[in-house]
Amino acid sequence: MRHRARKSLFEPGDVSAAPSVLRVRPAPPPPTGPGSEDQAALELDPRELWIAAHVPQLSLLALSAGSSAPLVVLDDTRNPRIVDVDAAAQAAGIRPGMMLAAAFAVAPEIDARPRDVARELALMQRLAGIAAAFTPQVSIEPPDGLLLEIKPSIRLFGGLKELCRRLRDACLADAAFARSGSQPHFTLAPTALAALVAARAGARCFITDPRQLPARLKLLPVGVLRWPEEANARLLAMGVRTLGELLRLPRAGFARRFGPATLADLDRLLGRRADPRRRLARRERYVGRLDLDHEIEEHDRILEVLRPLLDELAQFLRKRQRGITALQCRFHHYRAAPTTCALRLAVPEADAARLQSLLRERLANLRFPEPVRRCELRSGALTDRPLASKSLWSAGERGHAPAFEMPALIEHLRARLGADAVYGLRGVPEHRPENAWRVAEPALAPVVSARSAGGPAGAAPFRRPPWLLHAPQELDSQRGRPFHGGALQLLAGPERIESGWWDGADVQRDYYVASDPRGARFWIYRDCVGSRKWFLHGIFG
Amino acid sequence: MHEAHEKQLEELLAHPSVWRGRSRAALETFPTGFAALDAGLPGGGWPRHGLVEILTPQAGVGELYLLLPALAALSRLLPARWCTWVSPPHEPFAPALNAHGVALDRMLIVRTHLPLWAQEQALRSGACEVALAWLPRASPRAVRRLQLAAEQGRALGVLYRSQRFASEASPAMLRVLLEPTVVAGKQGARLRLLKSRGGSREPIDLTWADAAA
Repeated sequence: MRHRARKSLFEPGDVSAAPSVLRVRPAPPPPTGPGSEDQAALELDPRELWIAAHVPQLSLLALSAGSSAPLVVLDDTRNPRIVDVDAAAQAAGIRPGMMLAAAFAVAPEIDARPRDVARELALMQRLAGIAAAFTPQVSIEPPDGLLLEIKPSIRLFGGLKELCRRLRDACLADAAFARSGSQPHFTLAPTALAALVAARAGARCFITDPRQLPARLKLLPVGVLRWPEEANARLLAMGVRTLGELLRLPRAGFARRFGPATLADLDRLLGRRADPRRRLARRERYVGRLDLDHEIEEHDRILEVLRPLLDELAQFLRKRQRGITALQCRFHHYRAAPTTCALRLAVPEADAARLQSLLRERLANLRFPEPVRRCELRSGALTDRPLASKSLWSAGERGHAPAFEMPALIEHLRARLGADAVYGLRGVPEHRPENAWRVAEPALAPVVSARSAGGPAGAAPFRRPPWLLHAPQELDSQRGRPFHGGALQLLAGPERIESGWWDGADVQRDYYVASDPRGARFWIYRDCVGSRKWFLHGIFG
Repeated sequence: MHEAHEKQLEELLAHPSVWRGRSRAALETFPTGFAALDAGLPGGGWPRHGLVEILTPQAGVGELYLLLPALAALSRLLPARWCTWVSPPHEPFAPALNAHGVALDRMLIVRTHLPLWAQEQALRSGACEVALAWLPRASPRAVRRLQLAAEQGRALGVLYRSQRFASEASPAMLRVLLEPTVVAGKQGARLRLLKSRGGSREPIDLTWADAAA
């Protein structure tokens, strides 16, 4: 009776026990009981529909043993425990969770191997690749679960039933999952976690109404939530074996005993709390090859034969509304090692003609050791490409912003001259002149903020020359007077610059403005330490 | 009838691409930042697009000071376009440019052994407000190409060349010979317009803003 008086675990409103609830969904009406599946419930439109696929005995599948001995799979701890057993080992009396030593005592002939985690992941990625044909929202739930949000795809595939059937057929048709006992088990539920736990339990689950969730999940064992062993043991000690019993526990007390994260799990299970999943990013690349009928040496001909590949690439990108920022061309020869030519772009590009013109510049610098027999085009990672309409005016005309031309110029120059040949400038607040500026990546983002149109932001207190030499140039001197195409006359100075003792590039210099007899002005300095030589460092050009 | 023809002829002659001897053709210009130079140049300033040649006896005689006010103005125009430096002889010193009001984020430096090609790309692209280039040598045909590229890309192209080429013919729309001078202890320059569409024939004397007193 005491339990009755308290609030049930999932009555809404009691948020005091639920810490930092970010977004509480509007609570569905209280469950009407397992028997009342009325017509209204079926018409209810859930916001999300998740399909979960669970691959039973994934670790066994990943090892794919050919031996006839009973196979057991071990985890990778110091004291190996058995995580999975095949049918023969099970018949011999070995169960998951046993220590390896115990298993050997039961059946000495077993073949014990550690888990192959990389291959398990590869298998799941293969499954995700199949599932990605049905929805973009696919995520892997390690180690052996897969989640798909399919609500937006239902109409495209001609209804929910048809979509599920096609998904299952596609997955089961794959050779990797053909082995009996490891075929993925599919479930459908309005929340990701509910679908997942039902799939792990191997239960039949095809629910579209969130209100049915508590009733349908109540018979599943607590272990399917995959909470820590310690929590499961405590629940077992409390006499809680199924999800139904778990959901009846008082909310506040549950949070106190098991922590808020565990409570949040239950909230996600019933859709009371948002459960965003990270979408699996597909690593797509374009790779195109072309075997040539004749060996070709002329660059223009090679560009010609590359055009179909570039067109194919452009279509590949257009279909996905994506662009590339890196492209690699590989030219195979008869004997010599393949020649490679890499193109890097400042902004994502998807136009075949533009790529071809950039390749032309790049190829102009390339020498082939032998004629080309085969061409290969390999794209870098695909990136999002902002789509924009072309302007009526050309750049610079009637104040039209050259949004497209500015990065295009940089790419064009870099394609021929190399990436380091084109750069921007940045000022650095530093006293040493050689450290007071830095090579910077050109500012590609169009500057929209109206800059103050007046004079300089902060007029420099000292005069600086617009030219700085790449490295200070030592000057001749006679009786302590500097010479540079004639005796130099000191006009201003000295300005002492003494800095950098902390980073090893220590300077102590007296800077002067000097002019030669012809009227050219220079920025020269005299080393205050050591030889006291004169150096030319800048030109007031 | 006669008057109508006269009017048509006037209109025709007012077209920017028609140049009549000493007359000042209508030209889109912007101020140079030096009053004396503005008065002497056709249209009262640097041309907004086209090719300008600046001939100097040596580097470091004020060829950059001559253009710094223009660079400051052009780099602050909106919408922003690049100010390109093609194979400059030294490093443009960022703090000094900043002190003269030049917006650094519009500067684009190009280091290349193909300055003519890079300059033509910059001028033709339409992405540059101004493109400065230091050319060791350039044939009149190459300069003609640059002039056309500048008109096409609506950019101001500036070629820095040696005084040795002063006697060569050039298709640039404006040619300026620059010699350093010291007037009353102040550094400056004497400019001669070797070629201009109606500019001053007298030499123009300038002194730099930060010249030593």
